Formats: sequence, structure tokens, C-alpha cells
Amino acid sequence: MAEEKNQTFEILPENYEQDVLAKKKAGKKGDRDVEPAKLTMNSLMDILTILLVFLLKNYSTDAVSVTPSSDLDLPKGMTALTPEQTVAITVSKSAILVDNIMVLTVKDGKVDAAQKRGGDDGYFIIPLNKALADAVEKQRRIAAVNPSAGKSLGIATVIMDGDTPFRLLTEVMYSAGQAEFSKFKFLVISNIEAGA
Amino acid sequence: MAKKRKEEVIDTDLNLTPAMNLILILIPLLLAAMETMKLGVINVATPQIGPSSEVTPPDQAPDEKPLKLTIALTDRGLHLYARDQVIENKDDPLGPTIPKKDGEEVVDGKPVPGKVYDNEKLSQMLSDIKDENPTEENIIISAESHIKYRYIIQIMDASRETKVGDKKKSLFPNVVLSAGVA
Repeated sequence: MAEEKNQTFEILPENYEQDVLAKKKAGKKGDRDVEPAKLTMNSLMDILTILLVFLLKNYSTDAVSVTPSSDLDLPKGMTALTPEQTVAITVSKSAILVDNIMVLTVKDGKVDAAQKRGGDDGYFIIPLNKALADAVEKQRRIAAVNPSAGKSLGIATVIMDGDTPFRLLTEVMYSAGQAEFSKFKFLVISNIEAGA
Repeated sequence: MAKKRKEEVIDTDLNLTPAMNLILILIPLLLAAMETMKLGVINVATPQIGPSSEVTPPDQAPDEKPLKLTIALTDRGLHLYARDQVIENKDDPLGPTIPKKDGEEVVDGKPVPGKVYDNEKLSQMLSDIKDENPTEENIIISAESHIKYRYIIQIMDASRETKVGDKKKSLFPNVVLSAGVA
């Protein structure tokens, strides 16, 4: 028996060592009967699925999206009307934008007199009127192919900072009026629930 | 036999890793896209530039003057006009129809004590005018050139509808802006 063992050892010394090691490992596992540790994901999945559905329901599909900033502090108003897809005129404390493209700068609630027809007393803001006329032209071209887009022709959404003076508001509306805009929608933060 | 059954149980476990990956990516994405404030719009008609008397030319029968209800916002308060006549304030005939009241004004995003427009009194007065002219829907809003936009929105809110008891009462929903006050 001892001789046989010696022989085996002599013939396959390396394999034997590996076998012993493997047997030792297997034996250890088998002895203690330990399974690999597993997390229970079910409750976590439940939470995440509910959260996912809730967030999908809240997903913003508004036609207009505004990032609040100190430069554009929208006033609060009580209204149940929702924004529509129209040309957007944004008037912040520092600039006027048409469809999110900057047109001219604003300083202390005023437009530079050189940008207006008639100087300081003028109402007609030349670059704004040009940008709006281009926007109307673009809308017309779209409406020619897609008639449903034509219903927003002549309507502009005004996104304006709450501290803008009335004078600038009338100048913007006058310039827009000259570019064939006749209806305006003033964007406000709706607090109808708080006000009701 | 026991070993085989255990293996079968392990095999039926769903591999949730891809689903978890997807959900964990979708949740921050949707959280970022979530609207934090509800936006609304107020419909306004085009202003007509010119003296206030020319804003809406009389187009009704001469014996019945159009109401042409106008609110003008000034530094001192609200001036109301109807049928080209000033609606006088009985306590102060030379002052504004509705003087400003004490309240909190917002300056640079912070509330400070100051004078504010009396929206409740305005709603009350407009409600009385509406009772006398139930078919009238239009209102002209004008302001001094430096009056802030947020106050104009406030006045529009006050003139659009009011609450009588628990019911909402529509006042003058058609707003026309005018640049009448210099």
C-alpha cells in the first residue's frame, strides 16, 4: 500500500498535488454547505418600477420650457390656459431672444436708442422686427406644407422677466405687431391651485 | 436528487441586471426632465399706440356710449375710467380711484414693506361694474412707462375673474393693452 502510494507519487507528482488541492477546496465548500451570497432585488425593483411610472407620468410635454434664473424671473399668475407651440419672444433682464436665438441686448430695462426707429422715443425695435418677420416667413413656409401648423400664425408667446418696465413691453408688442403678430400669450408661472 | 432540485431553483431566477441598468438610467433622465413649475399663458390682444381716447373708436349707437373700461396703473394707484369718465374716489376726488395700500413689495426677489396695488378692492369694484354691464367682456389696461410687468400681470389676474362666495365669477377676460399713459 505504501509502495503503491510512493509509486503514484513518483509517477505523477504534480497532478497529485493539484488533485489534493482541488479535493481540499471542494471538501471545504461541501462541508459548510455555503451558497454564493445573493441580494434580494424584488423589493428594490418594485420601488424603481413605481418611481419609473410616476416619473413617466410627470414627463414634461409642454410646448414651452423655461429654465428659471435670476435673469428671467417669470411673474406668477392665475390662469388655466396652457402654452402652445408658437413663436416665442423672450425678454430677460439682459437680452431679447426670438425662438431662443439672441437678437439684441437690454440694459436697465431699455433697448439701445440706436436699435430703434425714431431713437429713444421710438417704439419700433428694428432687429426684433426683422427676426420676427423671418420667423413668420419660416412659419408660412411650414404652413404651406403642413396646414395644421398654420393655426399658430400671428400668435406669439411672450416670456418676459417680471421686472421689465411697461414701456419695453409695449415696444416689443409694437415691433411684433408690425411683423403681423396680432395675438399674444403672456407666459406666467401658474399658481391656480394656490390662488383658488 | 436534492442537489438537482436546488440547481433547478437557481436556474429559474431572473437575471435582473439589464432591467436594473435600464431603470437606473431612465430615472435620473426623467428626474431631470420633470417639470418643477407649471406654466400657463394669458391671452392678450395687440396694443394700439396712440392717445387713450383713440384706443377703441366708438362704434355703437350714439345714445349709448361704449363702456370702454380702462385701468391705468400709476405710481400712486389704479385709475379707472368708464365711458370716457374717470371713476372718482369718494375719499380723494383728485387722487387715483383705488390708491395703493400697505403691503409687501418684491425688490430683487426679496419682499420688503411698501405700497402695493389693492387687487381685492379692484376685483370688488369690477364685480359691481360687471353686474351693471353683464355683456361687457373687454378691458383696456394701460400703465406708466416704468411700471413693472409683474404688476400688470397681477392686475390682469384681478380683472379676469373673482370669487363670490365659493363660486368663480368671470369679470372682463378680454384684455387689451394700451400705451396710453405717457
